[in-house]
Amino acid sequence: MKPNEYFIEVGSHQHSKFGQPVAGDVFVSERSGDEGRTITILADGLGSGVKACVLATLTATMARRFVAADIDVRRAAEIIMATLPVCRQRKIAYSTFTIIDTRADGSVQVIEHDNPPFMLLAKNPKTAVQKEQFAIQSQSTGQRNLYYSRFQLEPEDRIVVCSDGVTQSGMGRKEMPLGWTDSAAGQFVSDLVSRDPGISARDLSRAVVLRANLNDHRKPSDDTSCAVVYLRRPRAALIATGPPINPAKDVALANTVRKFDGKTVICGGTTANIISRELKREITIDLSTRDMNVPPPSSMKGVDLVTEGTLTLSAGAELLEKNVDPEAAEPNAATMLLKHWLDSDIIRFLVGTKINDAHQDPNLPVELDIRRNLIKRIVRLLEQKHLKKASIEYI
Amino acid sequence: MTNITVKICTGTTCYVMGASQLLSLPQLLPEGLASRVLVEGANCLDFCKNGQHGKAPFVQVNNTVIPEATIEKVKEAIRQAAETD
Ligand code: FES
Repeated sequence: MKPNEYFIEVGSHQHSKFGQPVAGDVFVSERSGDEGRTITILADGLGSGVKACVLATLTATMARRFVAADIDVRRAAEIIMATLPVCRQRKIAYSTFTIIDTRADGSVQVIEHDNPPFMLLAKNPKTAVQKEQFAIQSQSTGQRNLYYSRFQLEPEDRIVVCSDGVTQSGMGRKEMPLGWTDSAAGQFVSDLVSRDPGISARDLSRAVVLRANLNDHRKPSDDTSCAVVYLRRPRAALIATGPPINPAKDVALANTVRKFDGKTVICGGTTANIISRELKREITIDLSTRDMNVPPPSSMKGVDLVTEGTLTLSAGAELLEKNVDPEAAEPNAATMLLKHWLDSDIIRFLVGTKINDAHQDPNLPVELDIRRNLIKRIVRLLEQKHLKKASIEYI
Repeated sequence: MTNITVKICTGTTCYVMGASQLLSLPQLLPEGLASRVLVEGANCLDFCKNGQHGKAPFVQVNNTVIPEATIEKVKEAIRQAAETD
């Protein structure tokens, strides 16, 4: 496998126990450095609610630091067990976890402690996972068993991990006295993938959690979480925003959009007008979505989305920051933009640097003239929080 | 009787200055007029660029530019356009 030919897409979805505002399952993922090493952790704290969330967060944060610092995963697990605060009622300190450490070349190490076993959906039926068991001593809970495995992911392979809220969903119903079970959940996942072989990590994890919640008639009796790591051919998106500083570059801008292999989005009315003029394609504004803060989206033939610039981009940045799921949000130009970002792996921003004369009006919020800073912020959020690869090019 | 075209600017400046309220215009037109009026959104119409047209938000009713547009002002302009037709 050539480096950069494939991309590690990570997606997760979560629903907390019915009536609990905070989930006791915590999902953390981080990409370190340029080598594209990706660490994904799912921790499930004892019980549910805030206490469980604190336990799980501690676990996940420690695990992430240790793995990133190249501390042996077994040693890391030991320290985590020794450090977790003890629950006063139950006298134990406890959080399950699954740590998935994926390198850019597809090699993976997994450590598991008491979560349902991860599923590997491999193209090659010969890809076998050998799990090595090892025990560590925990002060409050005695000896605990962990499983360590190491294997090689091939392109289009996926790793799926769930909290027990998923595999035990529906428990007690006549049709599923033992709950959904690992094997039925596994079957659901592989059926879904064979029907839709390109399904993204984001969509797959959502489907699993929604299905689990249906098993509980939409009132989950525990926190339900699912995370997916998917080694896929990267999906690219181009975001063109701002007119070029030199009008002679207008043609080049329009052609870059026209020829781009992937999704294309134009953010900015003037930019859209330039491209519309150069490509002789009409712009139609869609007045069916109404939002106080975000101007309506428009459409242009051959372009996936056209939006206004500054207001929409800053609303988009806000949504990235708050980790909003575009599928669950009110549709407007910013949530549509968010969906395009999250559906893509490699996002290229083509930023025109001409100053918009209208924004020189001193009566308008200063916010309006910070296109460049705004894009930098978006790139940072996409990379650090959403594990995308993003780049900026000024024209 | 010709149609009346109403362009509501949804560019950044106009939106910040209140164009979002104007988008409810189609629902607020009296029935007699509604059938004759075509309401469209528009990218920056360039009226905000040099102050000579007044202040945003801008709406254009046929060829008339309405600065600091409100629903009332736009309805009035539509009525006038309908009468002069
Ligand atoms: S933004 Fe409305 S005229 Fe410029």
